[in-house]
Amino acid sequence: MNKTPISYTVRELCQRGTENIPPELVSNTHLIYSSPATLAFNSPGAEGFGVKRAGLAIPGSVMLLVAPGCCGRNTSLISSMPEYNNRFFYLMMDETDIVTGRHLKKIPEAVEEVCNFLPNKPSVVMICITCVDALLGTDMERVCRRAEEQVGLPVRPCYMYALTREGRKPPMVHVRQSLYSLLEPRKKKGTSVNLLGFFAPLEDDCELYQLLRQVGVKAIREISRCEDYEEYQKMAEANFNLVLNPEARFAAQDFEKRLGIPSIELTRLYEIDKIGNQYAALGAALGVAFPESPERQQAQQEVEKFRNIYGPITFCIGECMNGDSFELALALVRYGFRVSEIYGTLTAENHVYLRRLEELSPETRVFSNLEPTMLYYDCSQAEADLTIGKDSGYYHPACPNVPWNQDRQPFGYAGVRKLFEALGHAMEEGRNHK
Amino acid sequence: MKGLRKYLTPFAPDQSGAVSVLYELGGILVICDAGGCTGNICGFDEPRWFSHKSALFSAGLRDMDAILGRDDRLVEKLSDVAGKLEAQFAAIIGTPVPSVIGTDYQGLRRLGERKISLPILTVDTNGMELYDVGEEKAYLELFHRFARESQPVVPGRIGVLGVTPLDMSDSAAAEKLTDLLKVQGWQQVDCYGMGAGLDRVKTAAAAEKNLVVSPAGLKAAEYLSKTFGTPFEVCNPLANELLPALDYTGKRILVVHQQVTANSLREELLRRGSGEVTVATWFMKKSVLAQPGDIVLKEEDDFTELAGDYDIIIGDEVMRPMIPGFSGEFVNAPHFAVSGTWVGR
Repeated sequence: MNKTPISYTVRELCQRGTENIPPELVSNTHLIYSSPATLAFNSPGAEGFGVKRAGLAIPGSVMLLVAPGCCGRNTSLISSMPEYNNRFFYLMMDETDIVTGRHLKKIPEAVEEVCNFLPNKPSVVMICITCVDALLGTDMERVCRRAEEQVGLPVRPCYMYALTREGRKPPMVHVRQSLYSLLEPRKKKGTSVNLLGFFAPLEDDCELYQLLRQVGVKAIREISRCEDYEEYQKMAEANFNLVLNPEARFAAQDFEKRLGIPSIELTRLYEIDKIGNQYAALGAALGVAFPESPERQQAQQEVEKFRNIYGPITFCIGECMNGDSFELALALVRYGFRVSEIYGTLTAENHVYLRRLEELSPETRVFSNLEPTMLYYDCSQAEADLTIGKDSGYYHPACPNVPWNQDRQPFGYAGVRKLFEALGHAMEEGRNHK
Repeated sequence: MKGLRKYLTPFAPDQSGAVSVLYELGGILVICDAGGCTGNICGFDEPRWFSHKSALFSAGLRDMDAILGRDDRLVEKLSDVAGKLEAQFAAIIGTPVPSVIGTDYQGLRRLGERKISLPILTVDTNGMELYDVGEEKAYLELFHRFARESQPVVPGRIGVLGVTPLDMSDSAAAEKLTDLLKVQGWQQVDCYGMGAGLDRVKTAAAAEKNLVVSPAGLKAAEYLSKTFGTPFEVCNPLANELLPALDYTGKRILVVHQQVTANSLREELLRRGSGEVTVATWFMKKSVLAQPGDIVLKEEDDFTELAGDYDIIIGDEVMRPMIPGFSGEFVNAPHFAVSGTWVGR
């Protein structure tokens, strides 16, 4: 038996094209191997923001998870964080509930009991339901309306339907829509902007804040920075939204339809020149010219400093990190480094990076974390001086690693600078441990 | 209100229990889910997952697979993996999705075995029962399937049933039990669930005796007794480790744990002079192991109403915030299936 994990070179993948992605790299064609490198896929709630944690992004909200016990099991990982104390509650379903649907009748009463139990009334109660109700076809909007009447508070559904993960509206798309569905129309303010897409703020020193202020924006709102429900409601007065994560596209469309707030989408990139191009395009769309950001030079200097100290080292890049693994690989290769392996999910969208990578690094190998033969992955077969991503760190335990999966979101030039600072620290620590 | 949890997160479900029994046996384990159940099992209920590779997979079910009942697709995927990996068997473990769509596990097994040259086990867990139910089903399926032939009894060989991280809450439980039993004169100790491989399961009939350390192992012990005549004893020799040095004399004590551990603690506490010891459990209460007055807890209120009457409560410390007015001594006895914490951590 051949005990080699299946992988393809970037050249092979480009030759096959977007229409012919190998089945081993397409998750719905095989069983999903479950290793610590895949936890973020199988259980987004266990790391970073999954539906449960994201569903509590509205200040003062609480969540009632209505599901079989198994769906709420790992929530104690989140509950142990002080900011989530007394915010998760459970109404556990049994087989009779599934057959008769009687759990739906219990929800208003459960919501009331939770509200009475808490010392302060919550701003919203999110009702989180799972695969079982997806299959039962539960009309949770209706159930929520009945609960709202009973407790006199907003009650909103939030869908943790893992079954629809690869559908048109996966759970993480849906939850973003739910979160903004409570905004009431307000008079617009030309100096207000929302940043949509993440559940934690951008790094405080991200140049995007400064750039927007330089062109007259006074209020830049992110849901994670709203201190209370009133502050959250002010998101409805924005002049426009900046969408920083494609999973917020549907939410942005809702903003436009319901509140008349248009949006512009920006992509998180690690190629400095492309970041500049993107800001220029944003300026053109807004009819302003952004001044050259000093952060650009700082990012360039940090890249150069790292390269001067450590030389053209070799990276392995995973997907459990704040970035697109293929775009980051391309950026690193363009900065003069080598990328031997990528552990990522190849889609038609990131083929654009793959094609450019082919010109510079055609022999880079691409693996899928989820593919069964990854059971046999052997790190001694790969060249790696430094790894990026929690998954990549799992495959190369002896190699310095930058997980780069922090809640605070890196973006723009500041993101590049911070990444290279983190890479430098990891290399330094790696040297000290030798 | 029935079913509402305000303090406790849900306990380990049956599917986690099934995986816990099968994890180290060298099979292809397929959780029949969309991904979330696998994430809960691996990321929380299976502590060995971070240190010990196992061929554990999610079926990756999608809505149309469930709606159309596409068992053939699952078998195709399993067949593909069976051709790529070395494995001694395959196991399909149920979750709420197959439960809702009424998956025919026996049909699935027959379909699979026609296509794949491996024995296939199926465990019809549903994510709504608790871990011990899943463990019990997995043990039974395992021994029914693999321990079929009588063997000459090997003197000095003992099997231990019910040893899983969820039940024992101790990563070194198998080693500790082995050491302890060897001191008692046993030469070969097979901890089914932690340590013993499939070869040991296949020759389980050769054991001179079985020891049952959690109620989830009882039915399998009864099966082995009935089929091969292997006698068994029920107790958890490691339970005493949970007791700190306190004066238990004359005290009224409530012990909340899995039934066998709780029973072993009761025995020890009475030996140390306790006045009255009540055993309660959130999990299985086997009538053959129970004493009059033993309690099954279902709802949070069951525990809060019970707790006030005791001088000492021994149980997992996640229960402590439920009784803020309790003025007695609360002794932490971790139960991994409750809190996900180990003894000594």
